[in-house]
Amino acid sequence: MNVVLAVKQYIAKTIEESGPGMKVLLMDKETTSIVSMVYTQSEILQKEVYLFERIDSANRENMKHLKAICFLRPTKENVEHLIQELRRPKYSIYFIYFSNVISKSDIKSLAEADEQEVVAEVQEFYGDFIAVNPHVFSLNILGCCQGHSWDPAQLSRATQGLTALLLSLKKCPMIRYQLSSDSAKRLGECVKQVITKEYELFDFRRTEVPPLLLLLDRSDDAITPLLNQWTYQAMVHELLGINNNRIDLSRVPGISKDLREVVLSAENDEFYANNMYLNFAEIGSNIKNLMEDFQRRKPKEQQKLESIADMKAFVENYPQFKKMSGTVSKHVTVVGELSRLVSERNLLEVSEVEQELACQNDHSSALQNVRRLLQNPKVTELDAVRLVMLYALHYERHSSNSLPILMADLKNRGVSERHRKLVSAVIEYGGKRVRGSDLFSPKDAVAITKQFLKGLKGVENVYTQHQPLLHETLDQLIKGKLKDNLYPYLGPSTLRDRPQDIIVFIIGGATYEEALTVYNLNRTTPGVRIVLGGTIIHNTKSFLEEVSAAGFRGRGTESSQAAVRAASRR
Amino acid sequence: MAASYIPPFDDPGEVREGFLCPLCLKDLQSFYQLRSHYEEEHSSEDKDVKGQLRNLVQKAKKAKNKLLKREDDRNDGLPQERYESYSYGGVDPYMWEPQELGAVRSHLSDFKRHRAARIDHYVVEVNKLIIRLEKLTSFDRTNTDSAKIRAIEKSVVPWVNDQDVPFCPDCGSKFTIRNRRHHCRLCGSIMCKKCMELVSLPFASKLTTASKEVLASHTSPNCSPNSVHGSRRGSISSVSSVSSVLDEKDDDRIRCCRHCKDTLLKREQQIDEKEYTPDILKLYEKLRLYMEKVDQKAPEYIKMAESLNAGETAYSLEHANDLRMEVQKMYELIDALSKKILTLGLNEESQPHPKTLQLQRMIRYSATLFVQEKLLGLMSLPTKDQYEELKEKKKREMDRKLQMERQATFESHRKLEERHTDFVSRSWAASNGEVSQPKRVEVKKAEGWLPTASISRQQECADPLLQQIDNITSFIEQAKKANRLDEVRMLQENLRQLQDEYDQQEMEKAIELSKRQAEVEEMQREQFQILCEKEWEREHQKKVSQHSRTRSLDFREMKLSKVEIAPDSLNQIAHALDLDTTQSQSNPGCKASSPSGRGQLPADESPVFPVQPPGAQELNRVSEQNKNAALNPFEEEAGISTLRKPDNLFAKDFSPVPSLPTKALNRGLKEYNPFDEEEDSQPANGVAISAPNPFEEDVGNSLQMAVSNQESGNSFKSSSPSTNPFEVDDDDNNEVLNEDIIEEELLLQQIDNIKAYIFDAKHSGRMDEVEVLTENLKELKRTLAKQKEKSSC
Repeated sequence: MNVVLAVKQYIAKTIEESGPGMKVLLMDKETTSIVSMVYTQSEILQKEVYLFERIDSANRENMKHLKAICFLRPTKENVEHLIQELRRPKYSIYFIYFSNVISKSDIKSLAEADEQEVVAEVQEFYGDFIAVNPHVFSLNILGCCQGHSWDPAQLSRATQGLTALLLSLKKCPMIRYQLSSDSAKRLGECVKQVITKEYELFDFRRTEVPPLLLLLDRSDDAITPLLNQWTYQAMVHELLGINNNRIDLSRVPGISKDLREVVLSAENDEFYANNMYLNFAEIGSNIKNLMEDFQRRKPKEQQKLESIADMKAFVENYPQFKKMSGTVSKHVTVVGELSRLVSERNLLEVSEVEQELACQNDHSSALQNVRRLLQNPKVTELDAVRLVMLYALHYERHSSNSLPILMADLKNRGVSERHRKLVSAVIEYGGKRVRGSDLFSPKDAVAITKQFLKGLKGVENVYTQHQPLLHETLDQLIKGKLKDNLYPYLGPSTLRDRPQDIIVFIIGGATYEEALTVYNLNRTTPGVRIVLGGTIIHNTKSFLEEVSAAGFRGRGTESSQAAVRAASRR
Repeated sequence: MAASYIPPFDDPGEVREGFLCPLCLKDLQSFYQLRSHYEEEHSSEDKDVKGQLRNLVQKAKKAKNKLLKREDDRNDGLPQERYESYSYGGVDPYMWEPQELGAVRSHLSDFKRHRAARIDHYVVEVNKLIIRLEKLTSFDRTNTDSAKIRAIEKSVVPWVNDQDVPFCPDCGSKFTIRNRRHHCRLCGSIMCKKCMELVSLPFASKLTTASKEVLASHTSPNCSPNSVHGSRRGSISSVSSVSSVLDEKDDDRIRCCRHCKDTLLKREQQIDEKEYTPDILKLYEKLRLYMEKVDQKAPEYIKMAESLNAGETAYSLEHANDLRMEVQKMYELIDALSKKILTLGLNEESQPHPKTLQLQRMIRYSATLFVQEKLLGLMSLPTKDQYEELKEKKKREMDRKLQMERQATFESHRKLEERHTDFVSRSWAASNGEVSQPKRVEVKKAEGWLPTASISRQQECADPLLQQIDNITSFIEQAKKANRLDEVRMLQENLRQLQDEYDQQEMEKAIELSKRQAEVEEMQREQFQILCEKEWEREHQKKVSQHSRTRSLDFREMKLSKVEIAPDSLNQIAHALDLDTTQSQSNPGCKASSPSGRGQLPADESPVFPVQPPGAQELNRVSEQNKNAALNPFEEEAGISTLRKPDNLFAKDFSPVPSLPTKALNRGLKEYNPFDEEEDSQPANGVAISAPNPFEEDVGNSLQMAVSNQESGNSFKSSSPSTNPFEVDDDDNNEVLNEDIIEEELLLQQIDNIKAYIFDAKHSGRMDEVEVLTENLKELKRTLAKQKEKSSC
């Protein structure tokens, strides 16, 4: 169930099969990110892969002394590029791997292009998704839906991604979907179709309890992606943005050249692996320890270099030393930037109010707090808008809903129209009318007492009160209590036992907060393994883009226009 | 500096011993911990290693099973707990068990099928062209007249009729008188002059000869570098050797169409590539070769260097130095080669393609990474002087370690002996109550009397005690060196005890000598000794009774209600009863013993049998007290006289070998069993059940002993009459006869002991000892008879 490992094994296998010799890895845009998520350059260099080329790049030289490993998505364009490549081969021999199911006719046209017989291997290796963490994957699709239904191209991409994931993990699951979401049902049906069609591929050893694929829709929980985050990974994504493990720090004031872009990968960065799920305060102290450790080491080495034995020791430690120094400066920079942003944007205060909006039901105090913050000049436009959005989502049907006042406040503050329109767009996207489950008020007596007790005890950490809806959904699923009428099975058969291997996929994108939730569930629930996926991993910014890309641009007429515009853009 | 040379036992720099995990070298305290550690931590790793370990472990298990039994019981659960506490019940996704490769599907066969169909077509076409080309070039063109050439050309391929092609098929221009038609000599098609291509003769000959070469070399299967495809290529040329002997002439070029030229050019390119290996490839191959060599040699060297640095002598320093030089040289070569690759083509006037440069940079980079990672891990070697020093140090260390080990074995040895003495005492005591005998056999099996071997080793020496003393003295010295004061103290105590023991033994030897010289004297001496012992015993029992009274509470608190303990305690009861009665031999004693005597039998005969609650309780209580009583005297005894041989107390004049009595007993036991059954119907058992009188039991036991020693007749006769007087006396005069009775008791015990020794001596074929012992026995019996006479009158 480790998705990173699944992709890694595929890539390692391709390289292994090509045998010794200099190699070039031919990829397309998407497979490049897929591979770069699981392998670092130096790691792959050790396997004699020295060049990384895009199949569509024209600027490639004839290098007959190289072997080419092609790892490509089976798209029309790629097949066409490959046909051209084979007609006039630039490399001595080709090992072709498609990341998904490829049609027989494509194989035929490729075979006919291979007049010089340079192809040694043609296989399907189902690494067709971005492996973010061992339990998190993404498809990097921004704007998967038009309105509340799928963009057809993205539907097929999502289907491919999900089926590839299932194949790479060797799971043939039962499918449950969120009833309130059409797109979830559509996706489920498409996946089911592929499974039926490729039944030979999905013929795995049966496990006692069949795995489960649960399809959810982002619109059911529009709150989570709107919140500021305080755990390392989520916070970095929220404030700086993680794109295929890369963080762009070029906007950081006074950044040094080699830190313009840094890579945060839990696979090769021990500090990151250990701290990605810890909250900001803990990271602060850990980074301090790391620094101290580094500093303690550094002068010691310098001091000690007097004797030859010391030199030897230093030299022996050198690679780790160097690696560590890289790690230190990277994390110090990142955390430094985070804390700068926190104070600059007054995020502690903003986050407190956000959490109140998300978790408590005190309308007047919430309204008061939001209005107060809207007056604060330090609060950024994005944060102001997100506060209003949270308010609007929570108190959408509240008797004394004061959204118009807040909207006026926003306008007075000089918030751009685009952003102001997004408030209503978000409500259209994830408002009460759309939601299948209740985001804010707990349903059963147990939950109510729980919340009551929580209120009595006080919250341990005001900034991390919020638990995403996903937590409750999965909790119920694990306990076998998830209601069949809200989350029906696709097809006649149902799961009798409690599920063990669960794959959750959120249409419209998952968040790192949810990744953390799933991580914790994995750690605390014996016998259960959960993998979380999304069309993308969102932060607030990308979520708002998703909402606007879906065509919700405000009310009524405007939205239909937007749809037209979106269609024409495509 | 010197101080730092004395590392603790588990100094990581040393050769490590103990239960090391073969993969992570973690030291685990016991074999079981190691196994569970291994199963938890490394189960995912190589199965072969695991299999090996299992194998190893099973061997070790057989050997060490007995010794480790105890340790294991204590420590077994620990790693499991540690693991549990680490996770919260679920599993961190990073720790998910490794998975197999995901699903794959190959299209290769499909691909090949389609390709084969296509290739056939392509190959035929190319071959046709080349055959024609060959035909066209195979005659002397310059010296043949053009009409003839044309005829030949037309014979090679039929030309397309002029009238059929009004326009150039390539550019579409109309053919006129000016724009004349041209025929491709290779395929016969028509095109205009503009679209016409020319094949020069050298080019043609290159193509045709290359094909021939391929044909020639085709007999060997590895002809082409891309051996996967080699065979197919061959088919192109297989028809090309046709030679025509036409003799005609024309200009030095052959006209052909664009299409045919293209095909020919492609063909040429293939031929070129096949022959060409760029410099970078040659260099790279060398580079890889050295890298592989380094991968082989470096671990070998590191192993050597580690061993040398530890001062071991497994490898020679010179050899290691050579190897080091070799490896270093290879690193230099790798560095040089990769540098060469990096600068390849940079000095030429036409700069290489940026991609080539990138490739070169990457190769250099990876070589640098390789060298960085491996070379820097290459440890240095000691110089000759240093090595000598190291060797010296190691030797010292090893010596010390050896001594430490010896000490450790000695200590464990001693512990075992303590247990042994304990056991002997118990079993000996238990021999008074026959019911506990089967249990004793079990005990033997479980605990395994391992130290006998080591003891027998000592036996070889002139005097084991002396040797032991020597050992301990040396241990003390070492311990002093190592600043282990507590151990020193312990060892000194041991030494003192041993010396005491030795003195005593010496004395006894002397006594024995004198015994042999004068029988009459000896009689007196024996008397004296018995008296002494009696005195001691009496004193001791006083203490014991105090002890048991004061301690009984404690025992009740830790109350071992487990059934397993029962048989054990029964042993003690039996023993204690013995003591009890000897102590007071009054009615209360009898009463106390009678219920326990009753409880004893069912409990042992059938463990499932429900024990009567009050009786059992009584029994337990008694056993608690008695356990105390049973244990204490011997512990103290050990403290007072000897660590090793409590039995010496009664038979000091014999056998310095502590294992002897046990052996005797155990052997005796094995042989008992038939007797036991026989005896069941005989008086002994009957006595035990019907008459709870301890003395009768005792007699029954001595009976058994006697039986086992195959002197049943004598001892039975000699001891059975003894019971009767006691019974009588019991009722009449408790106080007056107290002393005598104790004496008798002791005598009986001694007789038993000596019988056991005799048996053992016989068994191991030491007939002289047997003689001496039988003599002793006779004397004892005589004394006993006298005693009885006394007491009866």
